[in-house]
Amino acid sequence: MLQIVDINGDLERETKKLEQNFCINDHVDLLIEVLQRLDGRSLAAAACVCRQWCSIVRNDSLWEHLCFGNVSPPPSIGIRSVVLALGGYRRLYMVCVRPVASQLKRRRIDGGESEVVRRVWNRHEVELSLSLFCVEYYERLLGGGGVVGGESRATSLKFLCKAVNVSI
Amino acid sequence: MKRNHIITSDVTGKAKKTMWDEEDAGVDELLAVLGYKVKSSDMVDVAQKIEHLEGVLGNDDGLSLLASDSVHYNPSDLSSWLESMISELNPTTQPPIIDDSFMNIANTAIAAGNPPPSEVDSTSAFVDDLQAIPGNAIYPPTKKVKSSSSSAGASASSSYNPNPNPNPVVIVDSQENGIRLVHTLMACAEAVQQENLALAENLVKQAGMLAVSQAGAMRKVATYFVEALARRIYRLSPKPPQDSPAFQDLLQMHFYETCPYLKFAHFTANQAILEAFAGKKKVHVIDFSMKQGMQWPALMQALALRPGGPPTFRLTGIGPPSGDNTDHLQEVGWKLAQLADTIHVEFEYRGFVAESLADLEPAMLDLREDEVVAVNSVFELHQLLARPGAVEKVLSAVKEMKPEILTVVEQEANHNGLVFLERFTESLHYYSTLFDSLESSGNGGGGVDGGAISPASNQDKIMSEVYLGKQICNVVACEGPDRVERHETLTQWKSRLDSAGFEAVHLGSNAFKQASMLLALFAGGDGYRVEENNGCLMLGWHTRSLITTSAWKIR
Repeated sequence: MLQIVDINGDLERETKKLEQNFCINDHVDLLIEVLQRLDGRSLAAAACVCRQWCSIVRNDSLWEHLCFGNVSPPPSIGIRSVVLALGGYRRLYMVCVRPVASQLKRRRIDGGESEVVRRVWNRHEVELSLSLFCVEYYERLLGGGGVVGGESRATSLKFLCKAVNVSI
Repeated sequence: MKRNHIITSDVTGKAKKTMWDEEDAGVDELLAVLGYKVKSSDMVDVAQKIEHLEGVLGNDDGLSLLASDSVHYNPSDLSSWLESMISELNPTTQPPIIDDSFMNIANTAIAAGNPPPSEVDSTSAFVDDLQAIPGNAIYPPTKKVKSSSSSAGASASSSYNPNPNPNPVVIVDSQENGIRLVHTLMACAEAVQQENLALAENLVKQAGMLAVSQAGAMRKVATYFVEALARRIYRLSPKPPQDSPAFQDLLQMHFYETCPYLKFAHFTANQAILEAFAGKKKVHVIDFSMKQGMQWPALMQALALRPGGPPTFRLTGIGPPSGDNTDHLQEVGWKLAQLADTIHVEFEYRGFVAESLADLEPAMLDLREDEVVAVNSVFELHQLLARPGAVEKVLSAVKEMKPEILTVVEQEANHNGLVFLERFTESLHYYSTLFDSLESSGNGGGGVDGGAISPASNQDKIMSEVYLGKQICNVVACEGPDRVERHETLTQWKSRLDSAGFEAVHLGSNAFKQASMLLALFAGGDGYRVEENNGCLMLGWHTRSLITTSAWKIR
């Protein structure tokens, strides 16, 4: 009897010791695992927590996972180099993936559910997003030359950024 | 109205009703006899609404038609039928859109004397709206009901209105003005056709005044047509002033951004070219419509990512001479080369300046033996029809290039008929539909803060309209070799290409899926339709096809 009580007491003391010494920031791999499961908005919020989190979140691989982690079939290897060359996954998410996903979801589910975080993308959607991303990059190139009236912001993707009146 | 009489007489009977404790608690007995199941408690409400309605109906003679020919849909749901009737007459609700785009556009003018509100639900067909009245439609909506209901919408909005509406009474006429405008335009065109220029002059002035009284898409289309007619009548310039190609490119860029037509064209053509290039190591694209080169980044990216790696990509761009000294084609080439470098695609570019495609000789193009060739033409071939023999010459030149595939994108309309009046009518319908779609993509897009459109997108829209307006001007005001906007339908192109020795290549489901997805991204995307027609893809607005992408190979 006495022994059991002792073990319990030991256990409590042990857990208390662990809790005092554990900090997620010391275990970056765990942190990344957790962050990988967040949606775009939460990721952005996470970047505001502290400097360490900010630098972790800015790592493109997290955004790569967000963009195409759920693609079936899994995207080919060449995609990464192309996306990185065109501006990186974070930009891809911001400029193409998020608006495309929300527009497509809106079309499919007219009930207007809460913001869909992850969905399984199919090949066509991936291709379309990449094409639009490439066009946007090209427009920035053109814009730099002052051909399109000197607008620095890519304009052909404006139709994506125009917010949809979700209240309909 | 018989019904009206019975109901009002029953309001007084309501007091008596409450004494009776019936099992269908409170259902009005007298009405129940006629088949209307209305609760007595609702009666006051119903009576008030009937009074409203009567006030509305009584104020305009044109609606006596409605009163006598009313079609009732569900006798057991009188209250909500009235509700929907009244909300239909309420100007803040968008009146239903009818198939006839002119009536439609005139209707949108009614909702406000101003640019149409952002909640333009241009997708709801009129039939859907009628069926929204609770209870299924017992009688299918007839044409008469349509027009009387819409005229009800028009006149009622000004004469009776629960919300104070600052719009002047002139709104009552805008609906009729719309119809009158169309008739005047048609009459004017007919007068021009018959060389009765005095009459035509009169009519065009009238049309001009009527056009100003409209709003939205109708106003813009009408203004452009009036201007074009005026040019034709007064022969204002033997040749309309030529804009610099740079300006034309700029206009087309804005058109590219505002609506999906060009994007659709590029994406579907690219898909066809991509499939034709499958497995080939060296590819060469000859582009008749180089402009800003907006089509090619997407193709290059798709080539970069294809299994097996990208081929060597060579691009020959053909364009008109630029007015100033800048070598516009070369600049575009540099930018494309920059992009190609970024995504690691071997790229080679050559630009050719040609006044007309017919001046092109295949020998100039440095065609190499081991290369697979694709020829691309977006909205270029129809311009060749202005000179006899030009299109045949170009097609035989294309055959000499031995392309694996020829992609052609053209407007789906017959604006090349021999009779002026026919062309006028056709183009009036076509451009009205186009402007309609522009209107919705502009509004649907900017609808965050209650319909305010950002100045940038407004500018885009205006530029797109100018772009289309120039086409209108060309179709209506020019003749002979100056009239280059000689659009023809797919059937006509098919027979032309058939006789030149080409056969159609089916565009495949990938292109279709991509196109549908692209359209889904556009606000107002519900109005756009992708259709497949014998292997060719057509993009249209509601029921009207507007542009067609087709692919061809040598037989």
